[in-house]
Amino acid sequence: MLTEQSAYTNRWRQVSPVAKGCFACSGIVAACAAGSPRAALLAALIISTVTIVGAGIPTIRYLRVAAPALTFLLASALSLLVSLDFDCTTGGMPFHLAKSEFPRVAAACSRSLACLAALLFLALTTPLSDTISLLRRCKVPDTLLDLMTLCYRTLFVLSEAVHETMVAQSARLGYATARLSIRSLGGLTANLTVQIWQRSQALHLAAEARGNDGTLRFLENRYDNSWQHAIIAAAAGVLLILFVVIL
Amino acid sequence: MTKPVIELKNVSYRYPDGTAALTDCSLALVRGSRTAVLGSNGAGKTTLFLHLNGLLHPAQGKLLFDSAPFDYSRAGLRSLRSKVGLVFQNPDSQLFSACVREDVSFGPMNMGLAETIVRQRVEDALEAVDLLDSADKPVHNLSYGQKKRVCIAGVLAMQPELLLLDEPMAGLDTSMQEHLTGILDELHSAGMTIIIATHDLDFVYSWADEAVVLQQGRLLAGGSPTEVFGRADVQHELGGEPFVAEIARSLSLLGIDLRDKEYIPRSTRDLLKALSMHSTKQEKCI
Ligand SMILES: Nc1ncnc2c1ncn2[C@@H]1O[C@H](COP(=O)(O)OP(=O)(O)O)[C@@H](O)[C@H]1O
Ligand SMILES: [Mg+2]
Repeated sequence: MLTEQSAYTNRWRQVSPVAKGCFACSGIVAACAAGSPRAALLAALIISTVTIVGAGIPTIRYLRVAAPALTFLLASALSLLVSLDFDCTTGGMPFHLAKSEFPRVAAACSRSLACLAALLFLALTTPLSDTISLLRRCKVPDTLLDLMTLCYRTLFVLSEAVHETMVAQSARLGYATARLSIRSLGGLTANLTVQIWQRSQALHLAAEARGNDGTLRFLENRYDNSWQHAIIAAAAGVLLILFVVIL
Repeated sequence: MTKPVIELKNVSYRYPDGTAALTDCSLALVRGSRTAVLGSNGAGKTTLFLHLNGLLHPAQGKLLFDSAPFDYSRAGLRSLRSKVGLVFQNPDSQLFSACVREDVSFGPMNMGLAETIVRQRVEDALEAVDLLDSADKPVHNLSYGQKKRVCIAGVLAMQPELLLLDEPMAGLDTSMQEHLTGILDELHSAGMTIIIATHDLDFVYSWADEAVVLQQGRLLAGGSPTEVFGRADVQHELGGEPFVAEIARSLSLLGIDLRDKEYIPRSTRDLLKALSMHSTKQEKCI
């Protein structure tokens, strides 16, 4: 939901999604093209600085959004680096640091960081509806995009339903003990299944009522200076790629 | 007598599980009129609306639009649904897109209109429901009342001739209800035919030209609100009568007859006006 808020309120809300998509793609290309971990790290740093300073996303919020991905990255890096040694005859620590793995892990981590920064840039500056219309222009199949649209919308409807049901259950002591909690969770799941089914029926009916007969079509947002922005973004992207390749 | 724009002739409908939701309903609505459909929960109001929009086919009987039977072919339904706009009760089950402006464009885009026209219609519809400020907001950050207005805008953007609203007042606070009434008044003066399903007797009494009462899928009564609410069986079915009607009747028992030839006060404001006129008249007599 934090991502969502930023996407709708950042300084670059009115910049064409084409430009933002361009820059994010260049970021990913730069991450893959980076010759050394240092270059990739720098790319990550540049992209996140652009996001924080340029689009005006508060640093704290940026870190909070990035935190789950970073934790995951850290865990996987550790699991690559540290191996458990069950052969206790040597004595000492049962952990074993694989020093030889270090360059590979560094390369993988720095690249992932740069990719993450690029994706976060897009996610934090562009509302999903814009991203979807951008993908539509890139000729991504309609079915996939319709699914994205509905999932995205349903996410909020269902999270509200989950919240309401849980509050209602708690109000009647549904989560008072561990035993009751399990019971209530079961009830919640059953209830949600029915709700999902009913809601999909209702959505289908509502779509038909508004004359729909297949793909979901919407008006695309119009952006001023779309081309200028796209050119600037593309230039910045090319610079970034050149920079990491040369470094 | 003007020709009806939409008609039901002896329509019956049963849901697949056997519930008889409509039984032998006949109804005719005049262009530009304001009709209220009343009935307790489960009386068949929603089912009736689903028929008027061509979403359900009657098991028996038929429906007519401009005196021609409904055409249930793909093209026929498309044209019907662009003329008969239906706003469902629950806003969350009819908003597709996360963005207000996009969602409003859904209907006109389905009609296959040119982009410039769609854009214009979306702006007009958003303005009609006073939502231009929130046009770029995500739907899930809106209040319930605002979501409801987005739904209405989504149908208005299709510029239908008939507007069906399923319990539009349910869940709205008083000021929102007044706002909505204002929107409805504007649409009515622009010539739109409006049909509303509701439980609000006072609203119906002051607003509607026609009131229709459903009772377990059957048409119990239909006619002008004063006539319909005057019937004992209707009062019994709806559990009362409009406040203003009740007061006027009590007053007439006390010898204060507010009815002036054809005129009957139908809203609180009218009632108060009639009362003050009545008292000045009395003073003059003395
Ligand atoms: N999808 C459905 N399947 C089976 N029965 C239904 C369905 N929808 C409504 N009903 C039944 O049809 C009757 C009329 O319902 P409805 O038209 O929704 O009434 P209202 O809108 O006046 O509350 C009710 O008895 C209801 O239980
Ligand atoms: Mg209903």
